[in-house]
Amino acid sequence: MTTVHSPAPPRLDSPSAAALAQRIADVPRPAPRLASVISYGVIVAIVALGIWSIIALDYSLKSIEGTWANLSRFIAMATPLQWPGWNVVGTRQEDGTTTYVTEWVGLEPVWEMGGAILITLALVIAGTALATVLSVPVAYGAARNTSPHPAVVVLCRGIGVVARAIPDVAFVVFLAFLWFGSGTLPAIVAIGLHSVGMISKMMADAIEQIDEGPRTAIRSAGGSKTQEFWSGVVPQALPAWVAVSLHRADINLRGTVILGVVGVAGLGYELDEALHAGPSGMRRVIPIVVIIIVLCILFEILSSALRSRLLGVRPAGRGVGDTIVRALSRRPAAGTPAPASAGAADRGARIEAALHRPWDRNRLTTNLWIWGAIAAVVWAFAYADPDVSRLVSGWRFDQVSNPDLDRAVWPPNFGSRDADDVLAAVLTTVQIAFAATFISAVISAVAGPLSARNVAPNGLVRNGFRGFALVLRAIPDLVVAILFIIATGFGPQAGALALGIGGVGLLAKLIGDSMEEVPRGPERALASSGGTRTQVFFSSTVPLSVPALVSHLMYLLEQNIRSATLLGVVGAGGIGFLLLNALQGRHFDQVIAFLLVIIALVFVVETASVLVRRALR
Amino acid sequence: MTDSGTPVVQITDLGKTYPGAGTPALSGVSLDVLRGEIVVLLGLSGSGKSTLLRHVNGLETPTGGEVVSLGERVSGLRGRALRSLRGRVGFIFQQFEIVGPLTVLENVLTGALSTLRGPRVGTWTYPKRLRLRALGHLDRVGLLDRAYQRADTLSGGQQQRVAIARALMQDPEILLADEPVASLDPESSSQVMGLIREIAAERGLTVICSLHQVDLALGWGDRIVGLRAGEVVLDTSTDGLSREQVMEIYGRVATTTAELHAIETELAETREALASEEDREAARHRFEADLIDREPS
Repeated sequence: MTTVHSPAPPRLDSPSAAALAQRIADVPRPAPRLASVISYGVIVAIVALGIWSIIALDYSLKSIEGTWANLSRFIAMATPLQWPGWNVVGTRQEDGTTTYVTEWVGLEPVWEMGGAILITLALVIAGTALATVLSVPVAYGAARNTSPHPAVVVLCRGIGVVARAIPDVAFVVFLAFLWFGSGTLPAIVAIGLHSVGMISKMMADAIEQIDEGPRTAIRSAGGSKTQEFWSGVVPQALPAWVAVSLHRADINLRGTVILGVVGVAGLGYELDEALHAGPSGMRRVIPIVVIIIVLCILFEILSSALRSRLLGVRPAGRGVGDTIVRALSRRPAAGTPAPASAGAADRGARIEAALHRPWDRNRLTTNLWIWGAIAAVVWAFAYADPDVSRLVSGWRFDQVSNPDLDRAVWPPNFGSRDADDVLAAVLTTVQIAFAATFISAVISAVAGPLSARNVAPNGLVRNGFRGFALVLRAIPDLVVAILFIIATGFGPQAGALALGIGGVGLLAKLIGDSMEEVPRGPERALASSGGTRTQVFFSSTVPLSVPALVSHLMYLLEQNIRSATLLGVVGAGGIGFLLLNALQGRHFDQVIAFLLVIIALVFVVETASVLVRRALR
Repeated sequence: MTDSGTPVVQITDLGKTYPGAGTPALSGVSLDVLRGEIVVLLGLSGSGKSTLLRHVNGLETPTGGEVVSLGERVSGLRGRALRSLRGRVGFIFQQFEIVGPLTVLENVLTGALSTLRGPRVGTWTYPKRLRLRALGHLDRVGLLDRAYQRADTLSGGQQQRVAIARALMQDPEILLADEPVASLDPESSSQVMGLIREIAAERGLTVICSLHQVDLALGWGDRIVGLRAGEVVLDTSTDGLSREQVMEIYGRVATTTAELHAIETELAETREALASEEDREAARHRFEADLIDREPS
C-alpha cells in the first residue's frame, strides 16, 4: 500500500498515503443545510404520496376499460355536434342505424346563447368589481405598513384565508336561500366575497412593497393618514391592484362554469342543462364547452390589453393573452414634452395656459380605456340587474337561525355521515390533489427542462415545448375536468388526470423559467471541462434550480387542493361532493361543518407551503 | 423679512436613542436657529444629521430634551396641530421621495394637503387656485412644460426640483433639506443648491440643510454646525473660515475612535441600504411573477 506512487502528493508535509487517508477521514462533514433537507424531503414526499394516491385511486386496467366504453358512448351521443342555430334530427333507418340531419332553425338560439354569454360576463365583471372595492379596506388592514394594529393584520389576513377557502358555490347557495328570489344578487355577492380572498392578499402584498419615502414626504408636508394613503400609497400600488383585479376576472370567468351546477344563469347553467337534457342535450355539450374555452381565451386577451393600456407598460405575464398582446403591441415611444415656449414673456399667461392639460393622443387613448372599463362595470351591474334592495330587507335569516328547522346553520354537524366518512372524503380530495401534482410533475420533468433555453438542444425543441405549455395553460382545466368526469363517468381518477394534465401548462412553464434563471457560470465551467450536455444538466442546472422547483411544486399542490375540492362539486367525489349534497338539501349546519373541514385543509396546506418557501429562502 | 433675534428653531439638550440601538443617535444637542439663517449641518452618514432634521418637524420623537419649532413644542403636538406645524415646514429628501406614478403637477399639489380636508385623487380634485399656484411654483423651478408628465420619467435633478416646488406649495417658513444633492451628479447638484439659496433669499426662508461635503458647505451656508456621532462638535459662521480650519476640527481622516465608529456606521448603513434596495427589487420581481402565474384562487 505504501508503495503506491501518488502522482502529486497534495502537500509536502504529508508524505505517506496513510496520513493522507487519515486526513481525508478527518475532513469535517457539516450537517446538510435545513433548506436542502427540506427541498429533497418535499420532493420525496410529493413523489411518494403521489404514487400512493395513484394506487389508491385505482387506475387499474379494468377500470380504464370501462372508461373507454363510457368515452366512446359519450362521443357517440355527443355527435354530430349541435351548434346554436342548428338542430340535429336523428331518424332511425330500416337497418337499425340512425342518420342525422342538421338543419338551420334561425337565429333564435343564437341570441339565446349570446344572452348566456352576456350574463356570464356581467356576473363575472360585477362580482370582480365588487370584490375589488371590498378588498381595499381589507388590504389596508392586512398590510403591515398601513395597518393600524398588528391584531388587525392577523384579522384581515385571516379574512383572506377564509374567503379563499370557501368556494363561491357555497356562498351562492347560502345567499340564494337567504335572499330568495333576488335574481343575480347572490351570484354577484358570492363571486365578490370569494374573490376578496385572493384580491385582498395580493393588494396587501403590493402595499407592503411600496417605497415608503413618498409617504414620509407627504406626512412631513402635513398630510393626514388618509391623505398619506390615497396620495402616497395608492398611486404606487395601483398598477398591481389593477393587474390583480383583471387577472381575478379571468379566473372568475373560468369558475362560473361550476356555478352553473347550482343554478346560476349563464354558460355554466347552459352546460349543466345540456348535460341533463337527454340525447338532444348531449349534442350541445361539446359546442358549449368550445364556446366557453374560446370566451375564456378572448377575455384573457382583452384583459391583458386593458392592463397594458392602463399601466402604460407592455405585459410581462406568461398567460396566452399577455403573450399575444406583447407580440402585437409595439412599445409606444416615450412622449417628449412640447418644448417650452421660450418666447412667451408673460408668465401669468403661460401658467394660465398650462392649467388645462393638452389632449394628446396618449391621454385620449388612456382615457378611452379607463372610461371603457368603467362603462363595462356599469353595464355589468345594469345588465345583471341584481335586486339590491334585498341587501337590506327581506332576509330569511329566521329560517337559518331557527334550530328547530333542519336547515338551521347551528350547530354544525356532519348529518348522517360519521367522522370516518368525512375523513375518507378528505382523503379522496387529498389523493386527487397529490395524484394530479404527481402527474404534472412527471410530465413537466421532461417538458419543463426542454423548454429552457439553456437545456433544450435547439430552438425548435424549446419553442415546441413552450407552445405545448402555452396551449395547455390556455384551456381552462376545470372545464376540461368537468367534461372528462362526465364523459368517462369515472370520478376521482378522471378529475386527477384532467387536473394533472392541466397543471403541466403551469408547472412546465415555471420549471423552464427557473432553469433559464440559474447562473450561467457553473454550466460554462462544466462544459469547458468536457462535460456532455446531459452531464452539465444534472451537475449544474438541476442542483441550482432545486429550491425554485420545490416552491413551484408546493404552489401547484396548493392549487390542486382547491381545484380538487371544487371538482367534487361536479362529481369527482371527495369533500366537495359532501358539500354539494349538503348544499342541495339546504342543510346549512352540515354545509358549515364541511366548510370548516375545507378551511382547515386549505389552511394546513397553505401554511405548509408558506413554511417550506420561507425555509428555502 | 429677516428678523434676527427670534429663534425659529430652539433645540435644547436633544437626545435620541432608537429602540434596540446600543449607542444614542443624538445626545445633548443644543442649537438655536434664527429667522432667515442658512445653516448647514455637516457630518458623515450616521452622525445624526437626518435624525436631527427629522426632529424639527416631528417625524421623530425625542427620548430626551426638547425641540421648539416656530414657537411650538414639537413633541407636545398631536393630530391637527402637528399637521399644521408640518405644513409650515418644508422638507427636502435625499431620495426626492416624489410619487412616481403621479403627474409632476399632482406631486406639487400634494404639498398643499395640510390645508385641505380629506383625501385627494387626481389633479382635478384640487381647487383651481391651488393648481394655479402649483403651476407657478413649477415655473419657478423651470419645469412648467413637464407639468403633466409622470414624475418618474424625470431625471434625478428634475425630480429634486419638483420636490422643491412641492415644498414651496406649503408656503413654508422653514425649509429642511436632508442631503438634497447626495444622489445627484455635480451639474444638477449645483443647480439644486443654487435654487434653494435663491428661493431662500426671495422668501426670507430659514434653511437647515445637511451635507457631507466640506467644500460645498463652506461655499453655500452662512453657518456651519458640525456633528459627529450624535454630538455637536463645531458651530461657527462661515465668514473667514478656511477649509483647513474646518477639516482640522471636523477631520474626515479617522483619528479618534468616535470617528472610526462613524465611518463604520456609514459603511454598515450603505450596505444595509443596498441590501434593502435589492430585497425590495427581488420582492417586486417575485410579486410580478406571482401575479400572473401563481394566484391563490
